[in-house]
Amino acid sequence: MPKKVLVVGGGTGGTIVANNLAHRLHDKLVAGEVEITVLDPSPLHVYQPAYLLIPFGIMHRSEAIRSERSLLAETVRFRQEGATKIDLKNRTVQTASGNLGYDFLVLATGARPDYSQVPGLEKAGYDFYTLDNAYRLREALGRFGGGRLVTAVAGIPFKCPTAPIEFAFLADSYYSRLGLREKVQVDYVYPLPRPFTIQNVAEDVQTMMDGRKINVNLLFNIESVDPEKKELKSMEGETIKYDLAVLTPPHTGAEVVIKSGIAGKGGWIPTDRYSLRVNGYDDAYAIGDATDIPVSKAGSAADFEAAVVATNIWDSLNGFAPSLRYDGKVMCFIITSIGEATILLFDYEHPPKPPPSNFACYWYKLVYNRMYWSITAKGLLPGVGV
Amino acid sequence: MSENQQEKVKVIDARGSFCPGPLMELIRAVKESAVGDVIEIWSSDTGSQRDIPKWTEKAGHEFLGVIHEEGYDRIKVRKKR
Repeated sequence: MPKKVLVVGGGTGGTIVANNLAHRLHDKLVAGEVEITVLDPSPLHVYQPAYLLIPFGIMHRSEAIRSERSLLAETVRFRQEGATKIDLKNRTVQTASGNLGYDFLVLATGARPDYSQVPGLEKAGYDFYTLDNAYRLREALGRFGGGRLVTAVAGIPFKCPTAPIEFAFLADSYYSRLGLREKVQVDYVYPLPRPFTIQNVAEDVQTMMDGRKINVNLLFNIESVDPEKKELKSMEGETIKYDLAVLTPPHTGAEVVIKSGIAGKGGWIPTDRYSLRVNGYDDAYAIGDATDIPVSKAGSAADFEAAVVATNIWDSLNGFAPSLRYDGKVMCFIITSIGEATILLFDYEHPPKPPPSNFACYWYKLVYNRMYWSITAKGLLPGVGV
Repeated sequence: MSENQQEKVKVIDARGSFCPGPLMELIRAVKESAVGDVIEIWSSDTGSQRDIPKWTEKAGHEFLGVIHEEGYDRIKVRKKR
């Protein structure tokens, strides 16, 4: 009987962990000693960082989508169906076509916007958290001739914590280039007492926003949105009027992990922050946006985590003790204008020390958008620095 | 969330959660509570001592103080409106 590795979810984390393992286990896979299966209902893999850049015309649909099958190593089995129930005690994942057993399970089930948490949110405005919504927003930004453009965070945590900051900077840059900046007031609205979770980065962001005349509204926790009056109302009793609202929705975990009783608070999977094992299980791992560990919900975190999990599963399959721990490493770009960016590199113990914004970081970000398909997603850069 | 019968305080144990986790959990609890309720949040994140009073002041609730325990703080807030 082959040893079975089952990966639930074919996003960034799931695809990288499968490919990383497939490269290491090529001979065993060919010999039928090991099987790696990726399960996902979608045949398409979407590069989600494109969602922020599509509204400004910096990326396009064709650059954001590939077939999942084309990204996976030939030795990895891809089943285009969703998990309907995950039974960790009995090592079984149920799908519409039957039950799948496993020796090692990787839950890479991601995060999803949950508009229902804030009344009025879904009808109120625009967002860049799906491909279709990114294109709707692109049209809206192009039509917007002036007024108050409000970008607001309606719940923490959410995918890509720097994205709302980047959106405000990009909007400033976009309308400046069009000669419309004086007609467009840009507001950034955030629930915390500073414009980002990490203190020193928040100070830099505040300085940059002040310099760019972006209004920063803090401690504004959105309670409801009134699409008719075009108003955001906060739990703190304040109201912000908008002409165009770009709202980051609250997020939650995948329905299958909630229905299977695996999820904890917020729909996130209780996960050991170092081993990345699902708490209480030594044969089930969780990576990427799906976990409850205190790191950014970002593709780079999923990438670094995938390298740790692939290494430790390889160790176990070969009779060794797991040899890696995840140190909380995350790498995020912050695009600060159309043409400049900075970079955050941090882990559990070391806060980021971002360099001043510069063209080289921006250039690298755009190059990385293309490298993702040929190198990162294919598992060819396994955990540099992990 | 549990209820301490003697002090009639709703306790939220957010120890092990990092910024902004404890503040977000407090905000959620205040949203679900009645005016006059006291909420006590347990936090091991030192940033909570700075962030929670700022939020309670802005939101019009009453900051009742901090009790330092071994490795964490008990921060009390009363919902006022």
